[in-house]
Amino acid sequence: MHGIISAGIIGIGLGAQYALLALGFTLIFGVLGVVNFAHGGFYVLGGYVGYWAVSSAGLPYPVAVLAAVVATAALGYLFELVFVERFVDEQLATMMLTVGLYLVMSTGVLAGFGPEPADFAFPVTGSWHGGGFFIPWANLIVLGVCVLAIAAVYLVLYRTDLGRALRALADDRPVARAQGIRPHLLFPLAFALATGLAGLTGAVVTPILTLSPHVGDSVLATSFMVVILGGLGSVTGSTVAAFVVGLIEAYSDVYLGGSKGALALFLLVLLILIAKPSGLFGREARRA
Amino acid sequence: MSTGGTGAARLQLEGVSKRFGGLQVFKDITFEIPPGDLLGVIGPNGAGKTTLINVISGNLPPTQGRILLGKQNVTGKPVYAMSRMGVVRSFQQTNVFRNASVRENLARALRFSGAEGGSWRGIAELLEALGLAARLEEPAEKLPYGLQKMLGLMMAYATSPKVLLLDEPAAGLERRERARVDALIDHARNALGCAVLLVEHDMELIRRICPRIMVLEAGSVIAAGAPDEVLSRPDVIEAYLGPGDSEGP
Repeated sequence: MHGIISAGIIGIGLGAQYALLALGFTLIFGVLGVVNFAHGGFYVLGGYVGYWAVSSAGLPYPVAVLAAVVATAALGYLFELVFVERFVDEQLATMMLTVGLYLVMSTGVLAGFGPEPADFAFPVTGSWHGGGFFIPWANLIVLGVCVLAIAAVYLVLYRTDLGRALRALADDRPVARAQGIRPHLLFPLAFALATGLAGLTGAVVTPILTLSPHVGDSVLATSFMVVILGGLGSVTGSTVAAFVVGLIEAYSDVYLGGSKGALALFLLVLLILIAKPSGLFGREARRA
Repeated sequence: MSTGGTGAARLQLEGVSKRFGGLQVFKDITFEIPPGDLLGVIGPNGAGKTTLINVISGNLPPTQGRILLGKQNVTGKPVYAMSRMGVVRSFQQTNVFRNASVRENLARALRFSGAEGGSWRGIAELLEALGLAARLEEPAEKLPYGLQKMLGLMMAYATSPKVLLLDEPAAGLERRERARVDALIDHARNALGCAVLLVEHDMELIRRICPRIMVLEAGSVIAAGAPDEVLSRPDVIEAYLGPGDSEGP
């Protein structure tokens, strides 16, 4: 019984991390229609900015996390404004641009910090003991930060004019323009929000996992899987799918072991997609 | 007819032309619509009517000429800027956020347009008249076609426009639904003092509500004036039905 509950807690923790990443990924796709292949790069960059701020600049960890969010959001904003903006309706061009940015980011990090994993440790140690469970405080804090960030994203998307405008653009761009919404003012903001989320995830998650120049590859793969499972462009779908994937991963890892667990995860996702090709909350075809 | 509220403005076109490469879609279009007035634009398919709306609304820039809103030159402004200045259009097809509820569609129109007078109270009566009041919580995509079209028109109205550009609002509607288009145009003219440009093939509707019309044929204005007078002209009949047919449009 303890094993089931422990795996559930681990799964929820993973799901919260995946949700943050996938929300950003799906936001960019939903609003701009762009698949951001550099999303994993922003996660890595967030981790390294946090690492540099703590280890070289001597900043407290919470300030370092803030710096990571600001840096990744600012880079995302500028990248969209300077490069993506002019090719936003050309899928091949935006794919090449974001792949190119990812290569630049990972190569830059490699050149700056070397290929070895960075020694970026979470500042809080120890575990919570209760009911026969031992859960590291670091994991609980990361879970709390992720859940708060997810709530903040929902608050922005569903309770502010910015969010209403972003959702309108995602629903139907021509109709949104006819209603007075200015897409080219909102595209960089959406990009910045999404990359800032990836940077936040990198800064809080890499200290409890690992930080090296190429961890972004698996992050991109997982984000892809989550948003496809949830339904491309669906915010709710991405959130639900993230927790589904997190829980499947945790349980299959505990009960089947490493490689079999990963295989089980992909098979289950494949089965869901065979049954519902447009994803859990997806539509048959994306409009706009 | 109202002469317009505080937000009313005159729409004026001066020698406006549109060309796509070697194709002249229309040329030298000049007219004005005072606040609260209605101009019907008719013509056979391909005459350039929808392109005219696209140019006025900012979807396409004109090749030549000036577009004035009141005294302001708004020529070539993009569609979102025109919308925010009060020049709002409807589309031939439904133009709604299909995934969102009727209420959310209208909330977006009220919020984004920056309309000073836009409020739920201001649109309540018309919502009832257009058959949408009881269906506010339904997703737009679940509405029948006629009501989706009404919602699109209602969204345009909810922005409290100064100029309303209607592109075949009655197309695809059942006969009983067409009276709702009359209601919307009446409200726009009388309650908002809105200048309305109506592109339409439904001649009953045109005769019923338009005090004056303009006929476009192959990109040129071939006639303008009161509907009964214009629609009985032989050149207008020929433009619609071809030479040798004596029956009017």
